Amino acid sequence: MAENTNTTKPTKSRITFISRSAPYGSNRANLCLDMALACAVFEQDVNYVFLDDGIYQLLKGQDGAAIQNKTLGNALETLALYSIENVYADQQSLQERGIDAAELLPSIQLIENNVLSRLIKSADLVFNL
Amino acid sequence: MSCLHTINRSPDSKLLESCLKVINADDAILFLEDGVYHCILLTNLPTIAETVKLYGLREDMLARATLSKTLDRVEAIDTARFVGLCCEHEKVVSWF
Repeated sequence: MAENTNTTKPTKSRITFISRSAPYGSNRANLCLDMALACAVFEQDVNYVFLDDGIYQLLKGQDGAAIQNKTLGNALETLALYSIENVYADQQSLQERGIDAAELLPSIQLIENNVLSRLIKSADLVFNL
Repeated sequence: MSCLHTINRSPDSKLLESCLKVINADDAILFLEDGVYHCILLTNLPTIAETVKLYGLREDMLARATLSKTLDRVEAIDTARFVGLCCEHEKVVSWF
């Protein structure tokens, strides 16, 4: 057995993702999710926030097959499997778009702007896509 | 002669505002791709003339789970009807 193994302990960062794009119209929503899942696999501490048009990703009953796409809503439901449990949606973005909290996928915590400020402030890294 | 205006970005893009500045009473607007999010909450509906027909592409609504929330004023159409509309209007103006 080799004794001279790399003993550097992996660092754990707190990373806040802010997803601000609607699904399907561009690949930004998918890219943001992929980054977060990759970070979770490497055991980083991930917060995932849906803001502005990102809220549209959370609507229940999406069917990507209608436009020959993967259904993003299904992928989002796997966040918990990757131990991303801090998933938030901005309350104000919902109101501005006429969407009710009952129309969203389960396990999403609604937050106010000041909570988002705190999530950004307390993070080591912020991705905004 | 009438125009078919298409809008393919969400209301945040403000494309509808730009379109409404130049639209004529006998024109029509088709919302497609991310544009279909206009069809669940049209805040500028009062400023759109009654004669302007509003359409949304059904398959984009289905993908985004907005069909059931679509306003009565907007008619959901399929791609065949989309092609039909392009032929019925003298020209198509794309807002993107």
